[in-house]
Amino acid sequence: MFSTSTQRKFWTFSDENEVARLREKHNLGFISKHGAHIDEYQRYNYFLSPEEERLLLKQYELHLKEFCRRFSPPMPKGVVGTAFHYFKRFYLYNSTMDYHPKEILATCVYLACKVEEFNVSICQFVANVKGDRDKASDIILNNELLLMQQLNYHLTIHNPFRPVEGFLIDIKTRCTLAKPERLRSGIDEFLEKVFLTDACLLYAPSQIALAAVLHAASKEQENLDCYVTEMLFRDAGSDKLAILIEAVRKIRSLVKMVENPVRERVRAIEKKLDKCRNQENNPDSEIYKRRIREALDEDDMAYTGSSRMSLDTSGMTQILSPSAS
Amino acid sequence: MDSDVSKYTVIGRIGEGAHGLVFKARHNPTERDVALKKILIKNLEDGIPVNVMREIKALQLLRCKYIIKLYDMFPRGMSLVLVLEYMSSGLWEMLHHNQQELTLPRVKSYAQMLLKGTRYMHAHYVMHRDLKPANLLINHEGILKIADLGLARLYWPNGGRPYSHQVATRWYRAPELLYGARYYTEKVDLWAVGCIIAEMITKQPLFAGESDIEQLAIVLQHLGTPTELIWPGHTELPDFHKITFPESEPTPWNELLSDVDPDAIHLVKSFIMYDANNRIPAKEALRHVWFQNAPPPALLEDMPKPNNQKLK
Repeated sequence: MFSTSTQRKFWTFSDENEVARLREKHNLGFISKHGAHIDEYQRYNYFLSPEEERLLLKQYELHLKEFCRRFSPPMPKGVVGTAFHYFKRFYLYNSTMDYHPKEILATCVYLACKVEEFNVSICQFVANVKGDRDKASDIILNNELLLMQQLNYHLTIHNPFRPVEGFLIDIKTRCTLAKPERLRSGIDEFLEKVFLTDACLLYAPSQIALAAVLHAASKEQENLDCYVTEMLFRDAGSDKLAILIEAVRKIRSLVKMVENPVRERVRAIEKKLDKCRNQENNPDSEIYKRRIREALDEDDMAYTGSSRMSLDTSGMTQILSPSAS
Repeated sequence: MDSDVSKYTVIGRIGEGAHGLVFKARHNPTERDVALKKILIKNLEDGIPVNVMREIKALQLLRCKYIIKLYDMFPRGMSLVLVLEYMSSGLWEMLHHNQQELTLPRVKSYAQMLLKGTRYMHAHYVMHRDLKPANLLINHEGILKIADLGLARLYWPNGGRPYSHQVATRWYRAPELLYGARYYTEKVDLWAVGCIIAEMITKQPLFAGESDIEQLAIVLQHLGTPTELIWPGHTELPDFHKITFPESEPTPWNELLSDVDPDAIHLVKSFIMYDANNRIPAKEALRHVWFQNAPPPALLEDMPKPNNQKLK
C-alpha cells in the first residue's frame, strides 16, 4: 500500500523547493570537496552548476525513455516507471559529477527489471546497449550494489499504472461516460511525459493517475469533474477535494512545461563533465580499476579464524562511493 | 543516506545458503543476536540474484510476529549482507532430533503460528511458494516464524501473470505445480501447510516422493484419480498429458493418518484438496474446531525454548 510505503515516507517531498535544495546541496558538496584549489569565482567555469546538472539529467531522462522504448524484448510500463524513480532518487543525493548519468541510467533500468520481475539476463540486457557490451555489463554489475545502497534498499515502487486501471474500472461501472477505453491513448501519452517531470517525487501515484485520466478526458472533449466530486470525493470533505484539485492542476502544469533541452547546451555540459567528473568513479581511469580490484580482494578476506571480527562497513562505503557520505 | 553501519561481532557460522554463508553475530550497540546472510555477488553472472531481491522486497513489506524480520542490509566487498532476526532452531530440527518434544498441544500451537504467518502473508498478497519444515524457524522464546522468502512473490488476486512452476520443495508441492501449472495462486502455500501439519502430528512426511513423478504418483494414489468434477481444468495443465497413472480409488483418510483424531484429519483434509479453490484459507483454518477441542494449544511458556544452535 502506498500510504504505508517507504515511497511515501522517504521519497515523497512536500514541494519543488525541497527537491531543488537537496540537489543543490550535493552539487555544492562535490565542488567544495574537489574544488578547493580553484578560485571561487572560477569554479563554475570548471564544474557544473546546479542548473547545468538539471539540464544534463533532463537529457538523460530522455535517453532513459528511449532506451526503454527500444528495449527488446518489449519492456512492461512498470519497469520503465520504476527505473525513472530510481534514477531521480539517485540524483537527489548524488552529483552527476560523481557518477556519470549514462552509467547510472543503465544500472537503474537493470535493477528495475529485476525488482519488477521482468526477467532478462545481463547478456540480453546489454544486447540493447550500443558500444562495448562487456564493459557495459561490468559497469552495471559494479554499480548495482551502490545503487541499491543509495536507494536505501527501498526497492518497491508504486507506479501510477495500477491506479489508472482502477479508475478505468470504476468509471466503467459508476460513470455514464461512453467508451472509457478511448481515454487510454491520452493517458499513456500523459504518463510518458509525467516521468520527465518531478511529479513522482511530489505526488501520490493515484493523484498522478487521476491527473492522467482527467487530462485524457479533456482531450476527448469530456468532463469528469462530476465523477471526481460526486463519486470519488462525495464523502471526503471539501478540504480533501481542494488538495486533490490543486495536486491535479499542478501535475498537469508540470507536464505542460516539459521541454527538451537544447542540444548544443547539453553537448557543452557533457564536455565539461568529462573534465570535472570524479575520476575515481570513471571506469576508464586507472584509479577506478584499482579500486574495483581492491573491493574484490577485500571480499576474499575470510570470516574464519578470529573469534571476534568486526563487520564494520565504513571501509566498504568508501570503496563503493567515495563521496556518498 | 547511508544505512546504519553499526558494528557486529561474528560469533560463528550457522550454515550455508544458496548464495553464501550465514553467520551468527551480535549487534554490539544493542547486544542483539542476529543472523548475517552474506550473499556473494562477485561470481554471479547476473549480479544480485532475483530471489535475493524478492526476499528483500517481501521482508520489507511483511511485519509480523510470525515472519522473520530483516533488520538491515549493507554491502561488504562485492557482497551484500542481510541482517536477519536470529533464530536458534527450526521445525526441521524438531522433527528430526527432538520428536519427543512435539506433543499434541505444542503441535497445535506451532500450527497456529504457521497459520497466522500465512494469513498475514496472504493478506498482503505475498505467496511464499516454498513452505516446508526447514523454512520454519523457532527462536529462543519458542515462537515459530516463516523464513526464507527467496521464492516469495507478490501476486495479483485475479491472476493474469504466469509464474515458474519450479518452486516448492517436492514433498510439499501442490498437485497443480507437479503438473507444471504456470498460473497458480497463494493456495499452493495452503497445500504445503496441510502437509506440514500432518507431518507434525504423525512425525512422518505426508507424501514423500523420491522424484517428481513419484511424488505425483503418491498424491494420486492417496487422493484417487481426479475427475473433472473434483478438480476442474486439471486436464488442461501443461504436463497432464505427458504421463498417465493407473486409475485409483482414494485411500480413506483414517488409513492415511491412522490413530489421528477425526478433527485433525478434517483440518488436514481441508488443505489437501485437488481444487486449489476449495483449500481452506489460513484465516478460516485458525477457527477450526481442532484448535478448540482438548487438548488446547500449548501456551508460549510451555513451548520448547531452543537455545544453542550448533555452530560450525
